[in-house]
Amino acid sequence: MNPQLQLLVAIQDLELMIRDAEDAKKAQEFEEMGFGMGGLEELKKAREDLAAKLEPRHRNYYRRLTQRFGHAVVPVIKNLCTGCFANIPASFVSQTHRDRVLTCENCGRILYWP
Amino acid sequence: MDIADVLKHTSPDLYLPDLQATDKESALSEMVDGLIAGTQITNKETVLQMLLSRENLGSTAVGPGVAFPHGRTLAVQKLTILCANSKKGIPFDAEDGKPTHLFFMLIAPPQDSGHQYIKSLAVLTEKMQNAELREAVMKTDDYESFCEALKEG
Repeated sequence: MNPQLQLLVAIQDLELMIRDAEDAKKAQEFEEMGFGMGGLEELKKAREDLAAKLEPRHRNYYRRLTQRFGHAVVPVIKNLCTGCFANIPASFVSQTHRDRVLTCENCGRILYWP
Repeated sequence: MDIADVLKHTSPDLYLPDLQATDKESALSEMVDGLIAGTQITNKETVLQMLLSRENLGSTAVGPGVAFPHGRTLAVQKLTILCANSKKGIPFDAEDGKPTHLFFMLIAPPQDSGHQYIKSLAVLTEKMQNAELREAVMKTDDYESFCEALKEG
């Protein structure tokens, strides 16, 4: 897997976790089950550390997409971009192409094959 | 949701009877290896990194001898639960400082439709508050008896 795409996926997973921890209702649900939520600042620092490893063009593009859509990276399932449900061209499906940071031709989101 | 609904998200291929790991990070790595061997999931690094981040937020070893490593990641398409035992016990940063013997690892996609992930986590954490049930489940060493013990509790 492309190392820059790996970073983008890790950053988005981390942002999802941070969002849950900052959501008072969700955080309370986790705390009621006994789970600690005290390491939020550590997670935010980890996010910044990962973002610093991104090439500037990917970091800037990721930020723009996040501001626009909430999520920048979307999984491709059954050859569909799960952000806008556009078909992904067959040429994208080859392993060679998957090893690059590819974007949906319709909505621009970053594509990830789980 | 009850325990039978929760168990629909696991399978005999997602049960590890005796983890060999001796610390938290290698235990998570061994469980993610089990997850990959038992499913179509391929991206070990992403799942492991997400689980380690969750542990940095706060330990998931919340019951006496029990841990629930969990989180959401792009690397999976549906809620998947791996269950594992460790006969020796593994240091997992539990509040009581004792080793952890029983693990329920819940990995969900970002969407988590119907809040299956949170509900499953709630069912399991509540079940494991029962000391008698916990002991019974820890003593099992095959998938069928593991599930039976959980259902009987």
